[in-house]
Amino acid sequence: MFSIENILNSFHEWLSSMLNQNMVMLLEMTLIAFFAITLFATLGLVLVYLERKVSAFIQIRKGPNRVGPFGIFQTTADTLKLIVKESFMPNSVDKFLYQLAPFIVMITAMLLLAPLPFARGVQIWNINIGVFYVTAVSSLSVIGILMAGWASNNKYSLLGAMRSGAQIVSYELSAGMAILSIIVLTGSLNLQDIIASQENGWWIFKGHIPAIVAFVIYIIAVTAETNRAPFDLAEAESELTGGFHTEYAGMRFALFFLAEYINIFIVCAIGATLFFGGWMPFHIGNWEAFNHVMDFIPSSIWFFGKTFFLIILIMWFRWTFPRLRVDQLLNLEWKYLLPISMLNLLVMTLIAIKGWHF
Amino acid sequence: MSFLSNYIKEVYGAVSSLLIGMKRTGYYLTHNKEVITEEYPEFKAKMADRFRGEVVMTHDAQNEHACTGCSACELACPNGTIKILNKFDITPEGKKKKAIDSFVYHLELCTMCNLCIVACPTDAIKMSQNFEHSVYDRRLLTKQLNFPGSKLREGVE
Amino acid sequence: MNVQEIIFYLIAAYILGTGIMAVTTNRIFRAAIWLLFSLVGIASLYFWMDLEFIAAIQIVVYVGGIVVLIIFSVFLTQKAGDEMPVALKSRTLPAAFASLFALAFTANILLHHNFGSASNVVFDPNMDKIGMAMLNTGDGGFILPFETVSMLLLAALIGCIVIAMKIKKEETQ
Repeated sequence: MFSIENILNSFHEWLSSMLNQNMVMLLEMTLIAFFAITLFATLGLVLVYLERKVSAFIQIRKGPNRVGPFGIFQTTADTLKLIVKESFMPNSVDKFLYQLAPFIVMITAMLLLAPLPFARGVQIWNINIGVFYVTAVSSLSVIGILMAGWASNNKYSLLGAMRSGAQIVSYELSAGMAILSIIVLTGSLNLQDIIASQENGWWIFKGHIPAIVAFVIYIIAVTAETNRAPFDLAEAESELTGGFHTEYAGMRFALFFLAEYINIFIVCAIGATLFFGGWMPFHIGNWEAFNHVMDFIPSSIWFFGKTFFLIILIMWFRWTFPRLRVDQLLNLEWKYLLPISMLNLLVMTLIAIKGWHF
Repeated sequence: MSFLSNYIKEVYGAVSSLLIGMKRTGYYLTHNKEVITEEYPEFKAKMADRFRGEVVMTHDAQNEHACTGCSACELACPNGTIKILNKFDITPEGKKKKAIDSFVYHLELCTMCNLCIVACPTDAIKMSQNFEHSVYDRRLLTKQLNFPGSKLREGVE
Repeated sequence: MNVQEIIFYLIAAYILGTGIMAVTTNRIFRAAIWLLFSLVGIASLYFWMDLEFIAAIQIVVYVGGIVVLIIFSVFLTQKAGDEMPVALKSRTLPAAFASLFALAFTANILLHHNFGSASNVVFDPNMDKIGMAMLNTGDGGFILPFETVSMLLLAALIGCIVIAMKIKKEETQ
């Protein structure tokens, strides 16, 4: 059958027949780096356009409609403008850290791309600890934000960075708990194993109510972790003018902006993998005929469809809810999300031990 | 136990109220027909009749207006927006007759208070619904309201 | 020298370089950032050894936890952005001697004990096995230290809450 996996395999064989092993390795790594950068740029353009359209429709507006049909080239034009714009650096910043911070945030987002399974058999690095790797590396991005906030030598930036640090550190807990409750069911951290375990139905349907609770908690926690409204205290325009990226302009600002959208894509992809079966088509138990029909839709379309569904869900949150106050934010995490997710994890463990899930 | 039931009630209330909000925005997200924004230069909104855009002087087909130059509007204006420069026409009978030379209107000073229109005894001026006032030079905002070559309509005193 | 070795020496040079930068820089916040890079380098060394779980733990605990804590405390210090004065001679000299002594001590041990060739037992750093060993009450189990450490952490947590707790005054009528 014609699939991305087969194309990649035959490409690999073709390369191996021509070059020696090290050269093949090197060439493939270069190609993957090129692919990652291209994917990032495309995702940035598409997601920014999507966000502007979603926000416009929710607010009964039209959104971008001038550049190209339905304004689809609007984000390209914006990117061109940001590239040509002077990347102004204020006088009294810590120059080294100020320039480094956007790259830290960007590199962290790039590292998170490695274990994502894009389609059947298409994955950059099939790492054994998949989900744990993602949670571990995503904790690095807070460093970039703290660095940016501190190096800008501006009280708004510093306040934004402090808020963002407190927020990410505390919401990581309940996101981790929500992920754990799926890990309890699958018994493996490997993303391919997690997907394979959803062959006969996605976990959100198989795992009863605890899976749904875990999904809701996961979505709330990752919205907070990616610093998006209603948890955008780190950049709260009306209070902090721009938070940690107040002093950034031009391409440096664009890197922060891009990293935010890439992070959304990554957390949504992980959420889709854990709760909606990643690239696994919609299967119902033993209905062979139905499952076979579903298999005709390519796995990459399933993956991107689910991911974009979650992305639109998060955008829907952003344009519906007002921003939380700092104390409300911490109350929500420590008094509600964390106890509920702990209890949920216990119930899930019971279900997994007793084998009550489907 | 009341603590626990309160806690559950709070969580339930929060989730349900958030869902109500999401239902409303979700409705707009999926119903693009509700969009009321119009693309401006192609589609210009028709302003309501009561909208006060700027003062204009009505002229009929014979290029005649109803302004006698009585300066009631000039006196009524709270911030000196209107200046009326009069001249004296000589009628065929040899009598001098007062008429306006130019009706100068400073749009940049006008607050659209409508007092001049109320004060006008002959209904020579009215408010138009034009809202596109931006110009590159502010001298362009000083306008002469009577058209060149226009004259007073017969029978208006 | 094969590719593996080249990568190892690159990582080692990176760890040492950033470590030296961390102790020689005059700005306290930059020192924390260099320390962070050094710790990330150690995590990449674990990745190089295919010990993915340990590497992720290294990142979560040291980079995501401890360095963030250090950065927060740096934010709260006075004049965190200014250049600190160069340390006094009377302090640098003893410190240099102490570190030289530590280096000599470690080198002594290393030189007297040869690195044997790897045993034939395949080292399997699987996460399941680590988990089983942690909670195993039988031979090779670490249940006692595991539970002791968790008691210690619990005590620390309660201690924090007691310090931070606001004691309500008796309501006077």
